[in-house]
Amino acid sequence: MDKRFNLTTGKLGEDIAKKYLESKGYKIIEQNYKTKYGEIDLVAKKRNELIFVEVRTKKGENFGTPEETIDKKKLRKLWGNTKAYAAWKKWQGPYRIDAVCLVLKYDNAVERINHYESII
Amino acid sequence: MLVKILSVANRGLETIGVDVEINIAGRGLPGFEIVGLPDKAVDESKERVRAAILSSGVEFPAKKITVNLAPADVPKEGSFYDLPIALGILKSVLQFEVPEKSLFFGELSLDGHLRHTKGSFLLALFAKEKGFKNLFVPKDSANEAAAIKGIKVYPIENLFQLVSYFSGKTSIDSAVYKEPKDRLPVPAEFDMKEILGQEQAKRAAEIAAAGGHNIIMVGSPGSGKTMLARALPGILPPLGEEESLEVTKIHSLSGNIPPGGSLITCRQFRAPHHTASPVGLIGGGTRPHPGEVSLAHHGVLFLDEFNEFPRQVMEAMRQPLEDGYLTISRSKETVKYPANFMLVASANPCPCGYSDHPKKNCVCTPRQIRKYQKRISGPILDRIDLHINIQPVDVEEFSENQKASEFLHSSKEIRKRVILGRKRQEKRFKAESIKSNAQMKNSHIKKYCSLTKETEQLLRQASLKFQLSARSYMKMIKVARTIADLEGVPEITVSHMAEALQYRPKIYEEV
Repeated sequence: MDKRFNLTTGKLGEDIAKKYLESKGYKIIEQNYKTKYGEIDLVAKKRNELIFVEVRTKKGENFGTPEETIDKKKLRKLWGNTKAYAAWKKWQGPYRIDAVCLVLKYDNAVERINHYESII
Repeated sequence: MLVKILSVANRGLETIGVDVEINIAGRGLPGFEIVGLPDKAVDESKERVRAAILSSGVEFPAKKITVNLAPADVPKEGSFYDLPIALGILKSVLQFEVPEKSLFFGELSLDGHLRHTKGSFLLALFAKEKGFKNLFVPKDSANEAAAIKGIKVYPIENLFQLVSYFSGKTSIDSAVYKEPKDRLPVPAEFDMKEILGQEQAKRAAEIAAAGGHNIIMVGSPGSGKTMLARALPGILPPLGEEESLEVTKIHSLSGNIPPGGSLITCRQFRAPHHTASPVGLIGGGTRPHPGEVSLAHHGVLFLDEFNEFPRQVMEAMRQPLEDGYLTISRSKETVKYPANFMLVASANPCPCGYSDHPKKNCVCTPRQIRKYQKRISGPILDRIDLHINIQPVDVEEFSENQKASEFLHSSKEIRKRVILGRKRQEKRFKAESIKSNAQMKNSHIKKYCSLTKETEQLLRQASLKFQLSARSYMKMIKVARTIADLEGVPEITVSHMAEALQYRPKIYEEV
């Protein structure tokens, strides 16, 4: 797989994740929101709880699972992101961080999609 | 979902119960975490458990798994938590019942098989004491555990077998204890009859074996000191039932019991090289483990070339020689190990080795000899009951006498006498906590070793003449008691005392 296509794969994954979450009753309020720590893939809302979603997409699992790519460093970054967002929006209610891990086939069809709640 | 499986943790020879709690959380990223002060081997069990479960044909749950080893403040070490952890995960996936009052123990191999794991004997003792009914241990470690009666020990071959047993598909027969094959006689490197001449030394070895006395042999090179020591296991009495349990405990803890092994019934013979470190000999480490002195518990610790041992190592043996146990204190924990051993030491009289040789000339200066002999300190020598000088054998002399001495001094014959002597001691000390004459404290001597007037007079005269210490005075009585026991005489007579006095601390006294 060529590195050039990683960006399009990621974008594709985010769109699939967005539709998937919407079908589960989440209301997506932001996509690719930028803070000084980086980017938040998706910000959703459900039952008055703010949910920050990190989307990980892989084409095939031969070189590791998408779950494995979320390491300590990324978790720290996510945590900073969410706090920055909550402060910026003056959000007082509860919030959590979720991950959606996607594996695509080589023809971009979805092989599996997993939603992990509250990963920190 | 929360699952609880019971296992143990060892602190020295003490065993405590450990709850292995496995929680498979619905939320969170998939992961595998072990908490409760695991050491490296316990932490690495994650990888073994994961592979073993996959090899058993079960999908490893892609969820957040947390394992807690409670109580959380006791450090856990060893590889035996593999089985309880794996079983806990399998239980929450496959939903089977685990019988109550069961303990689990064993190291997994990546293909799901259970490997021989050290310490299953201590587990069985703990189970018996705390009223557990079932033990699930690796097949190779099952016999060791089955030595303890009153509990069911299930020998497990692999994870798959255990799971199908719990789901009621197969049955597992509990292990029946198999007696050790090498019960009698103890194999020794040499037979006593192979040793030419040295009648006095053989007699001293017999007395030492019968009473459990410490012995030091000094002589020129090639006179047979090492050979005599190596022949010693052949004349030692077998271990008593209680002693056997104590010895097995120590050896199970240090992993010296082979796969399929059973109780240790013969006395251990340990011969560490003189480059041994203090920790190796005495025991220690951050989590103190037993050293050579404890591994030689109720057996023989043979220190060849005694002078060559570092001073620090020698002096460290003072406490165990006197008390029969030792307490090792480290910042993390303090452990008490038994170390009731019989010390057999051998040394040369001087650096060249020939200072007491009748024909060869010694080439050492007096200063060299003094320096060499000073390496063994007075306090250590004072704790040794039997001191013998071994003279080189005259080649012409022994060829004639050999046949006559063969019958009298084969290891088999000596061992018979030693066992008889030891039995008399055991009978005498039935009400006491000791087993042999060497273990007698002053109060025991007062109670069991009454001396006749003449005997006491002889001892008093000798101790004045040879400047015996108070400790040596008592040791002489103990040795005389053993000599009387070998003969089967209830009273210590003058002749017994006279023989005992031959073995007084005299080594190196002339220089």
